[in-house]
Amino acid sequence: MEVLTSLFNVALLVAMLRTTAPILLVALGGSFTTKAGIFNIGLEGQMLIGAFFAVLGSIWTGSAWGGVLCGVAAALVFALIFALLVVSFRANEVVVGLALNILAGGMTISLMKAVFGTRGSIVGRGIVGLPKVQIPYARDVLGPYAQLISGYTPMVYLAFVAVPLFVLFYRRTRLGLHIRVVGEKPEAAEALGISITRVRYTASLLCGLFAGLAGAHLSLGYITMFTENMSSGRGFMAVAILIFSNGDPLRVLAGCLLFGFADAFSLRLQTFGYPSYLILAVPYLVALTALFALSYRARPKLIRETAESMRRFLRAETPSDTTRPS
Amino acid sequence: MDSASTPAAAVPPYAIELVGITKRFGTFTANDGIDLRVRRGSIHAIIGENGAGKTTLMNVLFGLLQPDEGEIRVDGKPVVMADPSVAIAQGLGMVHQHFKLVPSLSVAENVFLGMEIRTRGLIDHKKQEDRTRELSRRFGLAVDPTERVGLLSVGIEQRIEILKVLVRGARTVILDEPTAVLTPQESRELFATLRGFANDGMTVIFISHHLEEVIEVSDTVTVLRRGKAVATRPTSELSKSEMVRLMVDREVSFARPARPATQGATVLSVRDLWARDDRRHPALRDVSFDVRAGEIVGIAGVAGNGQTELAEVIAGLRPASHGAATLGARDILALSPASIRNAGLAHVPGDRMVRGVDGNASIASNLVMGRQFRAPWRKGWLLDWKAADVEATRMIERFDIRARGPADTVKRLSGGNIQKVVLAREFTNDAPFLLIDQPTRGVDIGAQEAIHDEIMRQREKGIAILLISVQLDELMKLADRILVMFNGRLMGSVDGEEADEDQIGLMMAGVAQSQVEAAA
Repeated sequence: MEVLTSLFNVALLVAMLRTTAPILLVALGGSFTTKAGIFNIGLEGQMLIGAFFAVLGSIWTGSAWGGVLCGVAAALVFALIFALLVVSFRANEVVVGLALNILAGGMTISLMKAVFGTRGSIVGRGIVGLPKVQIPYARDVLGPYAQLISGYTPMVYLAFVAVPLFVLFYRRTRLGLHIRVVGEKPEAAEALGISITRVRYTASLLCGLFAGLAGAHLSLGYITMFTENMSSGRGFMAVAILIFSNGDPLRVLAGCLLFGFADAFSLRLQTFGYPSYLILAVPYLVALTALFALSYRARPKLIRETAESMRRFLRAETPSDTTRPS
Repeated sequence: MDSASTPAAAVPPYAIELVGITKRFGTFTANDGIDLRVRRGSIHAIIGENGAGKTTLMNVLFGLLQPDEGEIRVDGKPVVMADPSVAIAQGLGMVHQHFKLVPSLSVAENVFLGMEIRTRGLIDHKKQEDRTRELSRRFGLAVDPTERVGLLSVGIEQRIEILKVLVRGARTVILDEPTAVLTPQESRELFATLRGFANDGMTVIFISHHLEEVIEVSDTVTVLRRGKAVATRPTSELSKSEMVRLMVDREVSFARPARPATQGATVLSVRDLWARDDRRHPALRDVSFDVRAGEIVGIAGVAGNGQTELAEVIAGLRPASHGAATLGARDILALSPASIRNAGLAHVPGDRMVRGVDGNASIASNLVMGRQFRAPWRKGWLLDWKAADVEATRMIERFDIRARGPADTVKRLSGGNIQKVVLAREFTNDAPFLLIDQPTRGVDIGAQEAIHDEIMRQREKGIAILLISVQLDELMKLADRILVMFNGRLMGSVDGEEADEDQIGLMMAGVAQSQVEAAA
């Protein structure tokens, strides 16, 4: 009982919301490209480059918001290159996405060496973190539960407020509708004079915007530092969530909360002295398993077909089985 | 001057004029100096074999292709159709053969896609739905504007495509093979709608293969043959056989070939068969029938009523969920596709490019596929390519495949010739049972006849044939017995000699045979 209360408490929920925010931001960004019919595996790189330039910008300008701006700008450049290669030159989106991810990883390391003369991580050196927003009177009304809604960086609020706005965007705005149509039935868009190229560029850049914000949150909001490869697979996790959720904002939120919970939970477990490598794998395992279970009916075609052919193969082995219930 | 100022005289009689349109693709001339004048308020049919240039001509008119020579006039004024938006602005609307609707959106969203009604920047779903309802009432195109398009039938999808065109203010509606996917009843409703358009002063141009419907609905016919307009006449002045002669430049027989009665033993027997489609919905419901040796059993139905699934289950490509199927004496439901073929199946699949041939391979290798282990193609452990070439050359001759030789890539051939490659392989397997799905889809009239003759020859050899086709006239010509499928069920069985298009059409729309016969 004591173990349980020390595991499950308000602090865990707070940690969950905090860890959910960056992956939610990047996954929402990816929802634009997913809906527009682009498989964007480059989220990881866009997020990482955003995180690095956010730190750089915050040192240069001495302001956290200057940092955010720099991070977003860098991610947008990556998104533009991605769109240029994938949409205009019709390069394979997986190859381009992976190449940009590798480029982002290498580039941040070399720039770190060039600018700061170090490897590993940048701490201190005048990095300004994002301010924490204290909601007035929250403590008076909610008491100890106030920390559930108050005291986060603006990015966390932005991420959660964005979800209903995304729902509205896809349902009620022209651009949202056109993004969906371009992804679902490009020939319909073309026949009606909707420019597929323009819609896909817009979607890619919007994706870059959100990936940049996610990156900035990682290095200026989460903690105030940059380390090599600090996005640590969150971009890929977002890609997995996007595949299973088909880019629907509410399902993206559910997937991200799940991942955030598992992440926060594993941090908790570390205090119990389990091997840290094992624990670090927990969030990914939990999230993937749960996502797979949740979307079992909508599982990707490949898996479905494999299961189908295996079943058929097994059946062919036993030809005596003639009457077969459905 | 005076007369020009009165509106009646100012309006020229032709809504659309195409003058000397020539369109070349490389060395191939798809449209060769075509003149076409379409009178306002008329229904103008364009007929011709596949490859005669009908679709190219319509794409030129609609701005999807640019002509190399010639002029387009709308209401007497020359217009350069730079792209479809110009055509739309000129009051043209096109209903494509393959619908371009978004399944996850509602009817109204599809109708207004690209020209959404917005209030304060947000799409006004209610207004769009009201406008759609109003239009559908005015033109007698019944649809529910709030429904998801993905759940609707093909006939309703077509109405939505027509609504899309109307909402954009079209006064001339172009339809590319509009009835290919409809039941006879749905086609008749469509014709009534088109007639209504013409009576309202709108102009209708439609492309068709089906001569009966051209005779039924159109005022004027233009016949295209090999890229040239060979005739434009009032429909009432042309008979069906004259149209065919103009289209193919020779006589073609529509008559049902004479045949001896069949007395063969049962080859394929299907009992209480159930199966599901890709979305796990029941696609076959309690299907039972037999096919005897020397008999052609036809399966009629609007596309998507379980015919594909039936063919796939018999060929071992889709599991059945319940029931039994035997070929010869063997239960085939538990067998793999290869074992079923060994048990005596030859299969001409409905989608030849997906399951019929490997488009990138040569004719010779396509003719070997699936029987490479047998003589004469096998030599010890290896394939005997020399023998394969000899065999292929013989089949190219026998099946009249128009190609440069056995090494020719299949993809390069026309649809009809690709189909002949599939037939050549499947008809020379000496299998006692032939499953033929859509034998003449996308095949022109000349080649259709050759394929029909070949099917009849297989019947004479005593082979049991299951013939699935969405073309009712094809079934009425070939089949000894026609089974009608609707929503996965067999609605009834009609003797081929006494088949009546109306009765079959009603069953295709889901009316039970007992009711159809009671009404007759």
